[in-house]
Amino acid sequence: MNIHRFEKGWLVASLVLIVFFIGTVAYVSAVTGVEMVDDSGGKVDVDNVTDDERFADPRVEQVGENEYDAYVVAQQFIFRPGTNSPIEVPANSTVNFYVTSLDVVHGFQIVGTNVNTMVVPGQVSEITVEFDEPDEHGILCNEYCGSGHASMGGSINVVPEDEWEGGDA
Amino acid sequence: MAYVDKRPLEARVIRVAFAASFLFLGLGGLGGLIQALHRTGYFQFIGEVTDGNYYTVLTSHGVFMVLFFTIFFLVGVFTWALTRGLDRDLNNPRVTKYWITSMCVGAFLTSLAIIGGFTNAIPLEANVLYTMYAPLQAHPLYYIGLTLFVTGTWVAGYDMISTYLRWRSDNPDERIPLKAFMVLTTMLMWYITTLGIAAEVLLFLIPWSVGIVSEVNPTLTRTLFWYFGHAVVYFWLIPAYLLWYTVLPKLSGGRLFSDPLARVVFILFLILSVPVGIHHQYLDPGIPEGFKFVAMTNTMFLLLPSLLTAFTVVASMEHGGRQRGGTGYLGWLRTLPWKNPAFSGMALAGVMFAAGGFSGMINAGMNINYLVHNTFWVPGHFHLTVGTASALTFMAGAYWLVPQLTGKELVSKRLAAVQPFIWFVGMTFMSNAMHRAGLFGMPRRTADPTYSQFSYDPTVGTVSGVNGQIALGGVLLTVSLAIFLYVIARTWFGGERAESPVDAELPSALSGPEHSPKVLDNLKLWVGIAILLVILAYTVPIGYIASDGLWSGSETYPVAIEALEVLL
Amino acid sequence: MATEDKKREIGHEEFDPVGTLALIAVYFVILVVMWIIMWRIEFLGNGPTVVG
Repeated sequence: MNIHRFEKGWLVASLVLIVFFIGTVAYVSAVTGVEMVDDSGGKVDVDNVTDDERFADPRVEQVGENEYDAYVVAQQFIFRPGTNSPIEVPANSTVNFYVTSLDVVHGFQIVGTNVNTMVVPGQVSEITVEFDEPDEHGILCNEYCGSGHASMGGSINVVPEDEWEGGDA
Repeated sequence: MAYVDKRPLEARVIRVAFAASFLFLGLGGLGGLIQALHRTGYFQFIGEVTDGNYYTVLTSHGVFMVLFFTIFFLVGVFTWALTRGLDRDLNNPRVTKYWITSMCVGAFLTSLAIIGGFTNAIPLEANVLYTMYAPLQAHPLYYIGLTLFVTGTWVAGYDMISTYLRWRSDNPDERIPLKAFMVLTTMLMWYITTLGIAAEVLLFLIPWSVGIVSEVNPTLTRTLFWYFGHAVVYFWLIPAYLLWYTVLPKLSGGRLFSDPLARVVFILFLILSVPVGIHHQYLDPGIPEGFKFVAMTNTMFLLLPSLLTAFTVVASMEHGGRQRGGTGYLGWLRTLPWKNPAFSGMALAGVMFAAGGFSGMINAGMNINYLVHNTFWVPGHFHLTVGTASALTFMAGAYWLVPQLTGKELVSKRLAAVQPFIWFVGMTFMSNAMHRAGLFGMPRRTADPTYSQFSYDPTVGTVSGVNGQIALGGVLLTVSLAIFLYVIARTWFGGERAESPVDAELPSALSGPEHSPKVLDNLKLWVGIAILLVILAYTVPIGYIASDGLWSGSETYPVAIEALEVLL
Repeated sequence: MATEDKKREIGHEEFDPVGTLALIAVYFVILVVMWIIMWRIEFLGNGPTVVG
């Protein structure tokens, strides 16, 4: 087949580019260790979420020296905790979020960051986050979930370590 | 002799398809303007009761633009391309009339279901947006209309393929002419693609919306939707590619650089378009990371046909520019016919696509996607691709095709000449602002993205700056769209009848198909490979997801009133 | 539509798309640079960041 040498060169360059893109993603994944949201959060009975021990009283609790588990329930049109009172986590911590939905598909993002996950009824989204300095951030639902979707927001406060009280919303 | 005189029946079908296409473009565009002004806070006249009306507009904007505008245009331009490429009429006028009717009736019914959402007087509603998956549920009419629409396209494919087969038996040894090759590979890809949404709608969404089953598995319906949802973007893009490969060289004053490479590109789309859909679900729970990684590598390789297209199309334009007298490395850019809106629309669309391609590459990067998923970056991206590469090319193509389909010369040529430039400027403002807004966390699909609990913290620019540019861009795009519709309508209904309303001659490629291996024309082989790749990418994930239960998981969350009440 | 305006005929053998090569090389560089910039914005910035 008659391919002009310039186009052959571009074909090679394109393949190099593609491999470069795949390589950087694989690097972030394998070396930096950033995992994707997947099925490791497990399931929940969508008809009985509030009976589940994880989500009956959604809160942040300490599970290790600088490690915390945060349970969040998403529903039309609030996060619990998060909307009516901020989620609170201490600075310099690693927090494992477990997020699920009572009703439809929602999204959960700490605004302007890469802490971002879908929230699907029947599934638990597990996402681990590193927080450094004290700050305040917004959270919002970024998946259309019905007519009140635009009001589904909240906040998360990263407080100095000695100020974190531990406990629920 | 113009196309309308040579093939009157086909010309009539294409006119109907284009009329439907441009009608939905206009209605969708109106919806887009409403949204651009509403969510930026400039003019919120639909939201007084509840923001629900915003989502009715949004659903209409999505469905009208990316299902009806694009696909009606596709069946029209493909009918032209196939019959012109094979120099042959379509096989069976009754089949042709059936599919265009089915598509029109289906589009009408779905539109009715959506528009019903504006009023409580009739129990129709479909505020589910264009990405239709559980647990949000529309009125059954929404799904039924779409079923008629999509099955109509299946019959259109059958019409085109059977016309090709008749040509083949009359021409056993010839290479498939390029335009026909493009149509065939795309329709074959479409059959594979629509299996996903057909399964989703027929096995799950319709039975659920009429009450036969009470629960469906949300992750499963999402996965079936996105099996279709990525490949469909190539259904939108490919008619633009067809025009860039086969018409743009001529408009540039030159010839297509390479026919064989164009064939390779279309084969790559046939085999790679579908097994990538899970890249829309990178952030879904319930789907193991391994499946996401496979989808990512497939997606990155799917960049290849577009990157190759960039080279071939620009080289063809360069050939034209040089034949028109351009010299030096870039001097040929100036000798190109920028005053011809058919040319400038396609050229500007291509430039914008290069930018949109980049933001798509970011979307495709599995972990990089974390930052941009479901933010305003995503609409920023696709308004460059389907919103410009496809839409502006379709408008540009219309300036060249509508005269041939009606026998009328284009009117208001000077107005038409500025139209693509206004689109380009408007889209630059709007899309650039959308990308930046997404980076500081502004969400997509949200009626009013201001929240009482926090304010955004843009690193570059301000929130009001971004809102202003989106509103400005939206207004410019609406002006451009209005000009297009005006020029086409005046031409269609009022232009001067002419023997040869436009120069419709298409020169042969610089490097023709005779220089390429015959295996490229072996459609059965490529379809086989396409199916194999789909099986490899999807069987295990779907099996895994379905093991949770097919018709279990989530109760109904209808945005419609109880379906059975309507049936009775 | 337009008039031909063709000044000369250029055949297959005589055509080397040098302009295209130049433009596409620039595009390649832009892609690589933008990708690296995006990567830095996302993973090397401060603030809360996902790890798994």
